Amino acid sequence: MSVIIDPTTLLAENVESTTEAARPASLASLRVGLFENTKRNAAQLLDAIGAQLTAREPSITLVRRTKEQFGLPMSSELADDLRASCDVVIVGVGDCGSCSATAVSDGIALETRSIPTAVVITDIFEANGRAIAALEGSPEFPFIMAPHPVATLDAAQLEERARELVDRILSRLVEPALAGAHA
Amino acid sequence: MTAGVDTDVVVDPDATRAGIEHVFAMGWSDGLPTLPATDEHVAEFLAHTTRDPDEVIATIPQLGKSATVRHAAVGAAMAGCAPEYFPVVLAAWDALGGEKPAQGGGWQSTSSPSPMLVVNGDIRNRLGFNSTGGVLGPGFRPNATIPRAIGLTISNIFGIRPHVLDQGTQGVPGRWQMCVAEAEEDSPWEPLSVELGHSPGADALSTVMVRTTEFLDNRYYTSAEEVLLDFADSVRRTGSWIMRHSAVGLLLNPEHAWLFADAGYSKQDVRDWLYENAVRTQADLRAVGKEYAVGTGHPDDEVHHVLADSSPASIPIVVAGSRNAAMSAIFRVFTTWSGRVVPIG
Repeated sequence: MSVIIDPTTLLAENVESTTEAARPASLASLRVGLFENTKRNAAQLLDAIGAQLTAREPSITLVRRTKEQFGLPMSSELADDLRASCDVVIVGVGDCGSCSATAVSDGIALETRSIPTAVVITDIFEANGRAIAALEGSPEFPFIMAPHPVATLDAAQLEERARELVDRILSRLVEPALAGAHA
Repeated sequence: MTAGVDTDVVVDPDATRAGIEHVFAMGWSDGLPTLPATDEHVAEFLAHTTRDPDEVIATIPQLGKSATVRHAAVGAAMAGCAPEYFPVVLAAWDALGGEKPAQGGGWQSTSSPSPMLVVNGDIRNRLGFNSTGGVLGPGFRPNATIPRAIGLTISNIFGIRPHVLDQGTQGVPGRWQMCVAEAEEDSPWEPLSVELGHSPGADALSTVMVRTTEFLDNRYYTSAEEVLLDFADSVRRTGSWIMRHSAVGLLLNPEHAWLFADAGYSKQDVRDWLYENAVRTQADLRAVGKEYAVGTGHPDDEVHHVLADSSPASIPIVVAGSRNAAMSAIFRVFTTWSGRVVPIG
Protein backbone atom coordinates (compact mmCIF):
# COMPACT_ATOMS: atom_id res chain seq x y z
CA MET A 1 0.00 0.00 0.00
CA SER A 2 1.46 3.35 -1.05
CA VAL A 3 1.12 6.52 0.95
CA ILE A 4 -0.44 9.51 -0.79
CA ILE A 5 1.95 12.47 -0.79
CA ASP A 6 0.77 15.65 0.90
CA PRO A 7 1.80 18.29 -1.67
CA THR A 8 1.33 21.16 0.77
CA THR A 9 4.20 20.25 3.07
CA LEU A 10 6.02 23.50 2.38
CA LEU A 11 3.12 25.36 3.92
CA ALA A 12 3.53 23.45 7.15
CA GLU A 13 7.13 24.56 7.62
CA ASN A 14 7.65 26.09 11.02
CA VAL A 15 7.97 29.80 10.58
CA GLU A 16 9.69 31.72 13.33
CA SER A 17 7.16 33.86 15.06
CA THR A 18 7.85 37.54 14.70
CA THR A 19 7.87 40.22 17.34
CA GLU A 20 6.26 43.61 17.38
CA ALA A 21 8.35 46.71 17.75
CA ALA A 22 8.02 48.61 21.02
CA ARG A 23 5.66 51.59 20.67
CA PRO A 24 6.49 55.17 21.62
CA ALA A 25 4.29 57.02 24.13
CA SER A 26 3.43 59.62 21.53
CA LEU A 27 4.50 60.81 18.08
CA ALA A 28 5.93 64.06 19.49
CA SER A 29 9.12 65.03 17.65
CA LEU A 30 9.22 61.69 15.79
CA ARG A 31 9.99 61.08 12.12
CA VAL A 32 6.90 59.53 10.54
CA GLY A 33 7.56 57.55 7.35
CA LEU A 34 4.98 57.64 4.56
CA PHE A 35 5.95 54.56 2.56
CA GLU A 36 3.85 54.51 -0.61
CA ASN A 37 3.81 51.66 -3.10
CA THR A 38 3.08 53.61 -6.34
CA LYS A 39 -0.49 52.35 -6.57
CA ARG A 40 -2.97 54.94 -7.77
CA ASN A 41 -3.82 57.37 -4.91
CA ALA A 42 -1.47 55.61 -2.48
CA ALA A 43 0.88 58.60 -2.12
CA GLN A 44 -2.09 60.96 -2.00
CA LEU A 45 -3.82 59.02 0.78
CA LEU A 46 -0.63 58.75 2.83
CA ASP A 47 -0.02 62.47 2.32
CA ALA A 48 -3.53 63.23 3.57
CA ILE A 49 -2.95 61.00 6.58
CA GLY A 50 0.38 62.76 7.18
CA ALA A 51 -1.39 66.12 7.11
CA GLN A 52 -3.95 64.93 9.67
CA LEU A 53 -1.20 63.67 11.95
CA THR A 54 0.71 66.95 11.59
CA ALA A 55 -2.42 68.90 12.54
CA ARG A 56 -2.60 66.90 15.76
CA GLU A 57 1.12 66.87 16.48
CA PRO A 58 2.99 69.70 14.73
CA SER A 59 6.39 68.50 15.99
CA ILE A 60 6.46 65.43 13.75
CA THR A 61 8.57 65.28 10.60
CA LEU A 62 7.12 63.51 7.56
CA VAL A 63 9.55 61.32 5.59
CA ARG A 64 8.39 60.14 2.17
CA ARG A 65 9.67 56.98 0.57
CA THR A 66 8.51 55.06 -2.52
CA LYS A 67 8.60 51.33 -3.00
CA GLU A 68 10.47 50.03 -6.07
CA GLN A 69 7.97 47.36 -7.15
CA PHE A 70 4.58 47.11 -5.54
CA GLY A 71 4.23 43.36 -6.15
CA LEU A 72 7.47 42.43 -4.43
CA PRO A 73 8.66 42.88 -0.86
CA MET A 74 10.76 46.00 -0.31
CA SER A 75 14.49 45.56 -0.84
CA SER A 76 16.70 45.20 2.21
CA GLU A 77 18.37 48.48 1.20
CA LEU A 78 15.03 50.25 1.40
CA ALA A 79 14.25 48.56 4.71
CA ASP A 80 17.59 49.78 6.09
CA ASP A 81 16.90 53.26 4.75
CA LEU A 82 13.47 53.31 6.43
CA ARG A 83 15.02 52.18 9.68
CA ALA A 84 17.66 54.90 9.52
CA SER A 85 15.28 57.67 8.43
CA CYS A 86 12.05 56.99 10.35
CA ASP A 87 10.89 56.30 13.89
CA VAL A 88 7.51 54.91 12.75
CA VAL A 89 6.28 54.02 9.26
CA ILE A 90 2.87 54.05 7.60
CA VAL A 91 2.78 51.49 4.77
CA GLY A 92 0.27 51.46 1.94
CA VAL A 93 -1.90 51.22 0.08
CA GLY A 94 -2.37 47.51 -0.47
CA ASP A 95 -5.26 47.46 -2.92
CA CYS A 96 -4.42 44.55 -5.22
CA GLY A 97 -3.66 40.85 -4.98
CA SER A 98 0.09 41.11 -4.83
CA CYS A 99 0.53 44.54 -3.22
CA SER A 100 -1.86 43.90 -0.32
CA ALA A 101 0.20 40.81 0.54
CA THR A 102 3.54 42.59 0.27
CA ALA A 103 2.29 45.60 2.26
CA VAL A 104 1.61 43.22 5.15
CA SER A 105 4.94 41.42 4.75
CA ASP A 106 6.79 44.75 4.57
CA GLY A 107 5.06 45.81 7.78
CA ILE A 108 6.08 42.60 9.52
CA ALA A 109 9.64 43.00 8.23
CA LEU A 110 9.84 46.55 9.62
CA GLU A 111 8.43 45.44 12.98
CA THR A 112 11.22 42.85 13.24
CA ARG A 113 13.64 45.76 12.62
CA SER A 114 12.07 47.49 15.64
CA ILE A 115 10.13 50.01 13.58
CA PRO A 116 6.47 50.42 14.63
CA THR A 117 4.25 50.31 11.55
CA ALA A 118 0.69 50.96 10.51
CA VAL A 119 -0.09 48.97 7.37
CA VAL A 120 -3.05 50.15 5.30
CA ILE A 121 -4.77 47.76 2.88
CA THR A 122 -8.28 47.90 1.43
CA ASP A 123 -10.87 45.75 3.17
CA ILE A 124 -11.62 43.48 0.21
CA PHE A 125 -8.13 42.00 0.62
CA GLU A 126 -8.55 41.01 4.28
CA ALA A 127 -8.29 37.24 3.63
CA ASN A 128 -5.19 37.80 1.55
CA GLY A 129 -3.56 39.93 4.24
CA ARG A 130 -4.44 37.40 6.91
CA ALA A 131 -2.98 34.53 4.83
CA ILE A 132 0.32 36.29 4.25
CA ALA A 133 0.52 37.30 7.92
CA ALA A 134 0.16 33.63 8.86
CA LEU A 135 2.83 32.63 6.35
CA GLU A 136 5.13 35.25 7.85
CA GLY A 137 4.65 33.78 11.33
CA SER A 138 2.46 36.57 12.63
CA PRO A 139 -1.12 35.38 12.09
CA GLU A 140 -2.62 38.07 14.32
CA PHE A 141 -0.63 40.92 12.75
CA PRO A 142 -2.91 43.97 12.95
CA PHE A 143 -3.32 45.81 9.66
CA ILE A 144 -5.67 48.69 9.05
CA MET A 145 -8.43 48.23 6.51
CA ALA A 146 -9.69 51.12 4.44
CA PRO A 147 -12.95 50.71 2.53
CA HIS A 148 -12.24 49.50 -1.01
CA PRO A 149 -11.58 51.13 -3.44
CA VAL A 150 -9.07 53.90 -2.84
CA ALA A 151 -7.87 54.24 -6.45
CA THR A 152 -11.01 56.01 -7.70
CA LEU A 153 -11.34 58.61 -4.91
CA ASP A 154 -10.99 62.32 -5.69
CA ALA A 155 -9.04 64.75 -3.51
CA ALA A 156 -11.97 65.56 -1.21
CA GLN A 157 -12.81 61.88 -0.78
CA LEU A 158 -9.18 61.08 0.00
CA GLU A 159 -9.23 63.76 2.67
CA GLU A 160 -12.36 62.22 4.15
CA ARG A 161 -10.86 58.71 3.99
CA ALA A 162 -7.73 59.96 5.78
CA ARG A 163 -9.91 61.48 8.51
CA GLU A 164 -11.65 58.15 8.99
CA LEU A 165 -8.35 56.27 9.25
CA VAL A 166 -6.20 58.57 11.33
CA ASP A 167 -7.35 57.46 14.78
CA ARG A 168 -6.76 53.82 13.94
CA ILE A 169 -3.35 54.60 12.51
CA LEU A 170 -2.38 56.57 15.57
CA SER A 171 -3.59 53.78 17.86
CA ARG A 172 -1.47 51.35 15.94
CA LEU A 173 1.69 53.47 16.14
CA VAL A 174 1.78 54.48 19.80
CA GLU A 175 1.32 52.72 23.14
CA PRO A 176 -2.28 51.50 23.19
CA ALA A 177 -3.14 53.07 26.55
CA LEU A 178 -1.94 56.46 25.39
CA ALA A 179 -3.47 56.52 21.93
CA GLY A 180 -6.15 59.16 21.68
CA ALA A 181 -4.84 60.96 24.75
CA HIS A 182 -1.83 62.26 22.89
CA ALA A 183 -0.87 62.49 19.27
CA MET B 1 -11.09 0.38 -29.10
CA THR B 2 -7.73 2.12 -29.43
CA ALA B 3 -4.89 0.44 -31.29
CA GLY B 4 -1.97 -0.53 -29.10
CA VAL B 5 -3.87 -0.12 -25.84
CA ASP B 6 -4.48 -3.06 -23.54
CA THR B 7 -8.24 -2.92 -23.10
CA ASP B 8 -8.28 -5.80 -20.63
CA VAL B 9 -6.49 -3.96 -17.82
CA VAL B 10 -8.22 -4.64 -14.54
CA VAL B 11 -8.47 -1.67 -12.22
CA ASP B 12 -10.32 -1.27 -8.97
CA PRO B 13 -12.76 1.57 -9.71
CA ASP B 14 -13.59 2.00 -6.04
CA ALA B 15 -9.94 2.45 -5.12
CA THR B 16 -9.50 4.88 -8.02
CA ARG B 17 -12.42 6.93 -6.85
CA ALA B 18 -11.30 6.79 -3.22
CA GLY B 19 -7.89 8.21 -4.17
CA ILE B 20 -9.41 11.04 -6.14
CA GLU B 21 -11.93 11.82 -3.41
CA HIS B 22 -9.09 11.97 -0.89
CA VAL B 23 -7.40 14.65 -2.98
CA PHE B 24 -10.65 16.62 -3.14
CA ALA B 25 -11.22 16.24 0.61
CA MET B 26 -7.71 17.48 1.41
CA GLY B 27 -8.20 20.58 -0.74
CA TRP B 28 -5.35 19.68 -3.11
CA SER B 29 -7.43 19.67 -6.30
CA ASP B 30 -8.01 22.48 -8.76
CA GLY B 31 -11.67 21.50 -8.90
CA LEU B 32 -11.24 18.65 -11.37
CA PRO B 33 -10.41 15.06 -10.48
CA THR B 34 -6.73 15.05 -9.58
CA LEU B 35 -4.46 12.06 -9.14
CA PRO B 36 -3.09 11.16 -5.72
CA ALA B 37 0.71 11.19 -5.99
CA THR B 38 2.86 8.53 -4.36
CA ASP B 39 6.63 8.24 -3.98
CA GLU B 40 6.69 5.47 -6.59
CA HIS B 41 4.67 7.56 -9.03
CA VAL B 42 6.88 10.62 -8.50
CA ALA B 43 10.03 8.51 -8.93
CA GLU B 44 8.90 7.68 -12.46
CA PHE B 45 8.94 11.38 -13.28
CA LEU B 46 12.31 11.98 -11.63
CA ALA B 47 13.73 9.15 -13.77
CA HIS B 48 13.14 11.35 -16.82
CA THR B 49 15.60 14.04 -15.74
CA THR B 50 19.21 14.13 -14.63
CA ARG B 51 18.52 17.16 -12.47
CA ASP B 52 18.85 16.92 -8.70
CA PRO B 53 15.42 16.44 -7.10
CA ASP B 54 16.35 19.13 -4.58
CA GLU B 55 17.32 21.72 -7.20
CA VAL B 56 15.20 24.84 -6.79
CA ILE B 57 13.16 25.53 -9.93
CA ALA B 58 10.97 28.40 -8.76
CA THR B 59 11.07 30.96 -5.97
CA ILE B 60 8.34 33.34 -4.93
CA PRO B 61 10.24 35.92 -2.89
CA GLN B 62 7.19 37.64 -1.49
CA LEU B 63 6.15 34.34 0.11
CA GLY B 64 9.70 33.35 1.01
CA LYS B 65 9.12 29.98 -0.61
CA SER B 66 10.90 27.89 -3.19
CA ALA B 67 9.86 24.81 -5.14
CA THR B 68 12.21 22.06 -6.21
CA VAL B 69 12.39 19.56 -9.05
CA ARG B 70 10.68 17.06 -6.73
CA HIS B 71 7.82 19.46 -6.04
CA ALA B 72 7.41 19.98 -9.78
CA ALA B 73 7.23 16.20 -10.19
CA VAL B 74 4.50 15.95 -7.54
CA GLY B 75 2.50 18.62 -9.39
CA ALA B 76 3.02 16.83 -12.71
CA ALA B 77 1.95 13.47 -11.28
CA MET B 78 -1.19 14.97 -9.73
CA ALA B 79 -2.04 16.82 -12.97
CA GLY B 80 -2.13 13.57 -14.93
CA CYS B 81 1.06 14.09 -16.93
CA ALA B 82 2.81 11.05 -18.32
CA PRO B 83 6.27 10.69 -16.74
CA GLU B 84 7.97 11.33 -20.09
CA TYR B 85 6.44 14.84 -20.14
CA PHE B 86 8.55 15.83 -17.15
CA PRO B 87 11.38 17.54 -19.10
CA VAL B 88 8.71 19.77 -20.67
CA VAL B 89 7.31 20.63 -17.24
CA LEU B 90 10.80 21.55 -16.03
CA ALA B 91 11.40 23.65 -19.15
CA ALA B 92 8.15 25.49 -18.41
CA TRP B 93 9.44 26.34 -14.92
CA ASP B 94 12.79 27.41 -16.41
CA ALA B 95 10.98 29.68 -18.84
CA LEU B 96 8.71 31.13 -16.13
CA GLY B 97 11.84 31.97 -14.12
CA GLY B 98 12.68 34.54 -16.78
CA GLU B 99 9.25 36.16 -16.88
CA LYS B 100 9.02 39.27 -14.75
CA PRO B 101 5.22 39.08 -14.40
CA ALA B 102 5.58 35.58 -12.92
CA GLN B 103 8.09 36.88 -10.35
CA GLY B 104 6.40 40.12 -9.37
CA GLY B 105 3.20 38.84 -7.83
CA GLY B 106 1.47 37.81 -11.07
CA TRP B 107 0.13 34.58 -9.60
CA GLN B 108 -1.63 36.58 -6.87
CA SER B 109 -2.83 39.33 -9.16
CA THR B 110 -6.42 40.45 -9.55
CA SER B 111 -5.69 40.15 -13.31
CA SER B 112 -5.23 36.40 -12.84
CA PRO B 113 -2.87 35.78 -15.76
CA SER B 114 -2.25 32.29 -17.09
CA PRO B 115 0.98 31.05 -18.59
CA MET B 116 0.59 30.09 -22.25
CA LEU B 117 3.16 27.46 -23.13
CA VAL B 118 4.45 27.32 -26.71
CA VAL B 119 6.25 24.13 -27.70
CA ASN B 120 8.58 23.84 -30.67
CA GLY B 121 10.77 21.07 -32.07
CA ASP B 122 10.53 17.36 -32.69
CA ILE B 123 9.23 16.69 -29.18
CA ARG B 124 5.83 17.89 -30.40
CA ASN B 125 5.46 14.75 -32.45
CA ARG B 126 7.28 12.38 -30.06
CA LEU B 127 4.93 13.23 -27.18
CA GLY B 128 1.78 13.79 -29.22
CA PHE B 129 1.17 17.50 -28.69
CA ASN B 130 -1.67 19.00 -30.66
CA SER B 131 -0.61 21.80 -32.99
CA THR B 132 -3.49 21.65 -35.46
CA GLY B 133 -7.28 21.56 -35.16
CA GLY B 134 -8.64 22.68 -31.79
CA VAL B 135 -5.18 23.64 -30.57
CA LEU B 136 -6.55 25.84 -27.78
CA GLY B 137 -9.19 23.29 -26.84
CA PRO B 138 -9.29 19.98 -24.97
CA GLY B 139 -8.50 16.47 -26.11
CA PHE B 140 -4.73 16.08 -25.96
CA ARG B 141 -2.97 14.88 -22.85
CA PRO B 142 0.30 16.84 -23.06
CA ASN B 143 -1.44 20.11 -23.98
CA ALA B 144 -3.97 19.62 -21.17
CA THR B 145 -1.84 18.29 -18.33
CA ILE B 146 1.48 20.14 -18.59
CA PRO B 147 0.07 23.63 -17.86
CA ARG B 148 -2.15 22.06 -15.21
CA ALA B 149 1.00 20.75 -13.50
CA ILE B 150 2.20 24.34 -13.16
CA GLY B 151 -1.12 25.38 -11.62
CA LEU B 152 -1.22 22.53 -9.11
CA THR B 153 2.30 23.39 -7.99
CA ILE B 154 1.40 27.07 -7.60
CA SER B 155 -1.65 26.19 -5.49
CA ASN B 156 -0.28 23.32 -3.45
CA ILE B 157 3.41 24.02 -3.03
CA PHE B 158 3.20 27.81 -2.85
CA GLY B 159 -0.28 27.87 -1.33
CA ILE B 160 -1.57 30.46 -3.82
CA ARG B 161 -5.25 29.51 -3.94
CA PRO B 162 -8.36 31.35 -5.08
CA HIS B 163 -9.95 33.73 -2.55
CA VAL B 164 -6.82 33.76 -0.41
CA LEU B 165 -3.40 34.46 -1.90
CA ASP B 166 -4.83 34.23 -5.43
CA GLN B 167 -6.94 37.38 -5.70
CA GLY B 168 -8.14 36.90 -9.29
CA THR B 169 -11.15 39.18 -9.81
CA GLN B 170 -12.88 36.99 -12.39
CA GLY B 171 -10.14 34.56 -13.31
CA VAL B 172 -9.26 33.71 -16.88
CA PRO B 173 -10.83 30.96 -19.00
CA GLY B 174 -8.08 28.50 -19.76
CA ARG B 175 -5.94 29.31 -16.75
CA TRP B 176 -3.51 26.40 -16.37
CA GLN B 177 -4.84 24.96 -19.63
CA MET B 178 -3.02 26.94 -22.33
CA CYS B 179 -0.36 24.96 -24.11
CA VAL B 180 0.04 25.07 -27.87
CA ALA B 181 2.54 23.33 -30.08
CA GLU B 182 3.44 25.31 -33.17
CA ALA B 183 2.25 23.86 -36.50
CA GLU B 184 5.76 24.08 -37.88
CA GLU B 185 5.03 21.79 -40.83
CA ASP B 186 2.14 23.99 -41.92
CA SER B 187 3.82 27.38 -41.48
CA PRO B 188 5.37 29.51 -44.20
CA TRP B 189 7.85 30.95 -41.70
CA GLU B 190 10.48 29.70 -39.30
CA PRO B 191 9.08 28.66 -35.91
CA LEU B 192 9.12 30.98 -32.89
CA SER B 193 12.02 29.05 -31.33
CA VAL B 194 14.18 29.33 -34.46
CA GLU B 195 13.38 33.01 -34.80
CA LEU B 196 14.68 33.45 -31.24
CA GLY B 197 17.92 31.58 -31.67
CA HIS B 198 17.30 27.83 -31.43
CA SER B 199 18.13 25.25 -34.12
CA PRO B 200 15.36 23.93 -36.37
CA GLY B 201 13.94 20.76 -34.85
CA ALA B 202 15.50 21.43 -31.43
CA ASP B 203 13.06 20.95 -28.57
CA ALA B 204 12.28 24.32 -27.04
CA LEU B 205 9.57 26.04 -25.04
CA SER B 206 8.47 29.52 -24.12
CA THR B 207 5.93 30.81 -21.64
CA VAL B 208 3.93 33.97 -22.12
CA MET B 209 1.77 35.29 -19.29
CA VAL B 210 -1.63 35.80 -20.89
CA ARG B 211 -4.77 37.61 -19.74
CA THR B 212 -7.08 36.19 -22.38
CA THR B 213 -7.38 35.06 -25.96
CA GLU B 214 -9.77 36.66 -28.46
CA PHE B 215 -10.81 35.09 -31.74
CA LEU B 216 -10.42 36.83 -35.05
CA ASP B 217 -12.72 35.35 -37.69
CA ASN B 218 -11.92 36.65 -41.15
CA ARG B 219 -12.58 33.88 -43.65
CA TYR B 220 -13.96 35.79 -46.64
CA TYR B 221 -11.05 38.15 -47.11
CA THR B 222 -9.98 39.49 -50.46
CA SER B 223 -6.56 40.74 -49.39
CA ALA B 224 -3.94 40.37 -46.68
CA GLU B 225 -4.37 44.01 -45.75
CA GLU B 226 -8.04 43.52 -44.86
CA VAL B 227 -7.07 40.81 -42.40
CA LEU B 228 -4.25 42.94 -40.97
CA LEU B 229 -6.68 45.82 -40.48
CA ASP B 230 -9.05 43.44 -38.71
CA PHE B 231 -6.22 42.33 -36.42
CA ALA B 232 -5.17 45.90 -35.71
CA ASP B 233 -8.73 46.78 -34.68
CA SER B 234 -8.72 44.02 -32.06
CA VAL B 235 -5.20 44.84 -30.88
CA ARG B 236 -6.02 48.52 -30.28
CA ARG B 237 -9.28 48.14 -28.40
CA THR B 238 -9.35 50.32 -25.32
CA GLY B 239 -10.83 47.82 -22.88
CA SER B 240 -7.52 46.05 -22.49
CA TRP B 241 -5.45 49.25 -22.39
CA ILE B 242 -4.17 49.81 -18.86
CA MET B 243 -0.47 50.62 -19.26
CA ARG B 244 1.62 52.78 -21.55
CA HIS B 245 2.34 49.73 -23.73
CA SER B 246 1.57 46.06 -23.60
CA ALA B 247 2.56 43.07 -25.70
CA VAL B 248 0.00 41.24 -27.84
CA GLY B 249 0.62 37.85 -29.46
CA LEU B 250 -0.85 36.39 -32.62
CA LEU B 251 -1.88 32.79 -32.88
CA LEU B 252 -2.25 32.55 -36.64
CA ASN B 253 -4.01 29.66 -38.24
CA PRO B 254 -2.04 28.39 -41.25
CA GLU B 255 -4.42 29.92 -43.78
CA HIS B 256 -3.92 33.45 -42.44
CA ALA B 257 -0.17 32.85 -42.17
CA TRP B 258 0.02 31.72 -45.80
CA LEU B 259 -2.20 34.62 -46.91
CA PHE B 260 0.36 37.03 -45.45
CA ALA B 261 3.35 35.06 -46.74
CA ASP B 262 1.92 34.75 -50.27
CA ALA B 263 1.32 38.50 -50.28
CA GLY B 264 5.01 38.95 -49.58
CA TYR B 265 4.91 39.58 -45.84
CA SER B 266 7.58 38.14 -43.60
CA LYS B 267 6.75 37.69 -39.92
CA GLN B 268 8.64 40.89 -39.25
CA ASP B 269 6.60 42.69 -41.92
CA VAL B 270 3.39 41.61 -40.14
CA ARG B 271 4.79 42.89 -36.84
CA ASP B 272 5.90 46.19 -38.36
CA TRP B 273 2.47 46.67 -39.92
CA LEU B 274 0.66 45.98 -36.65
CA TYR B 275 2.98 48.20 -34.65
CA GLU B 276 2.28 51.10 -37.00
CA ASN B 277 -1.47 50.60 -37.21
CA ALA B 278 -2.45 49.52 -33.70
CA VAL B 279 -2.81 53.06 -32.37
CA ARG B 280 -5.28 55.25 -30.52
CA THR B 281 -5.45 58.99 -30.19
CA GLN B 282 -5.26 60.91 -26.96
CA ALA B 283 -8.92 61.87 -27.46
CA ASP B 284 -9.92 58.19 -27.83
CA LEU B 285 -8.25 57.31 -24.55
CA ARG B 286 -9.64 60.34 -22.73
CA ALA B 287 -13.17 59.47 -23.87
CA VAL B 288 -12.95 56.10 -22.08
CA GLY B 289 -11.19 57.41 -18.98
CA LYS B 290 -7.86 55.83 -19.87
CA GLU B 291 -5.75 58.93 -20.34
CA TYR B 292 -3.75 57.92 -17.27
CA ALA B 293 -2.17 55.12 -19.30
CA VAL B 294 -0.34 57.54 -21.59
CA GLY B 295 -0.25 60.70 -19.49
CA THR B 296 -2.25 63.88 -19.78
CA GLY B 297 -1.28 66.98 -21.73
CA HIS B 298 -0.81 65.51 -25.20
CA PRO B 299 -2.74 67.02 -28.14
CA ASP B 300 -6.08 65.38 -28.87
CA ASP B 301 -4.93 63.97 -32.19
CA GLU B 302 -1.61 62.58 -30.94
CA VAL B 303 -1.47 58.85 -31.62
CA HIS B 304 -0.26 56.30 -29.08
CA HIS B 305 0.99 52.85 -30.00
CA VAL B 306 -0.39 49.85 -28.11
CA LEU B 307 2.88 48.02 -28.68
CA ALA B 308 6.22 49.28 -27.38
CA ASP B 309 7.97 48.29 -30.61
CA SER B 310 7.75 45.66 -33.37
CA SER B 311 10.09 43.11 -31.79
CA PRO B 312 9.18 39.41 -31.41
CA ALA B 313 8.88 40.02 -27.66
CA SER B 314 6.25 42.71 -28.19
CA ILE B 315 4.37 40.78 -30.90
CA PRO B 316 5.09 37.06 -30.67
CA ILE B 317 3.66 35.20 -33.67
CA VAL B 318 2.89 31.48 -33.48
CA VAL B 319 1.26 29.45 -36.25
CA ALA B 320 -1.18 26.83 -34.96
CA GLY B 321 -4.60 25.42 -35.71
CA SER B 322 -6.32 23.85 -38.68
CA ARG B 323 -6.49 25.21 -42.20
CA ASN B 324 -10.21 24.43 -42.24
CA ALA B 325 -11.32 28.06 -41.73
CA ALA B 326 -9.47 31.34 -41.65
CA MET B 327 -9.75 32.00 -37.94
CA SER B 328 -6.93 33.15 -35.75
CA ALA B 329 -6.59 34.49 -32.23
CA ILE B 330 -4.76 37.22 -30.44
CA PHE B 331 -3.51 36.62 -26.95
CA ARG B 332 -3.32 39.51 -24.54
CA VAL B 333 -0.02 39.49 -22.71
CA PHE B 334 -0.02 40.42 -19.02
CA THR B 335 2.38 43.39 -19.13
CA THR B 336 5.40 42.17 -21.11
CA TRP B 337 7.00 39.05 -22.53
CA SER B 338 10.73 38.42 -22.18
CA GLY B 339 11.16 37.05 -25.70
CA ARG B 340 13.00 34.08 -24.17
CA VAL B 341 12.75 30.54 -25.47
CA VAL B 342 14.39 27.81 -23.37
CA PRO B 343 15.63 24.37 -24.40
CA ILE B 344 13.67 21.29 -23.28
CA GLY B 345 15.77 18.63 -21.56
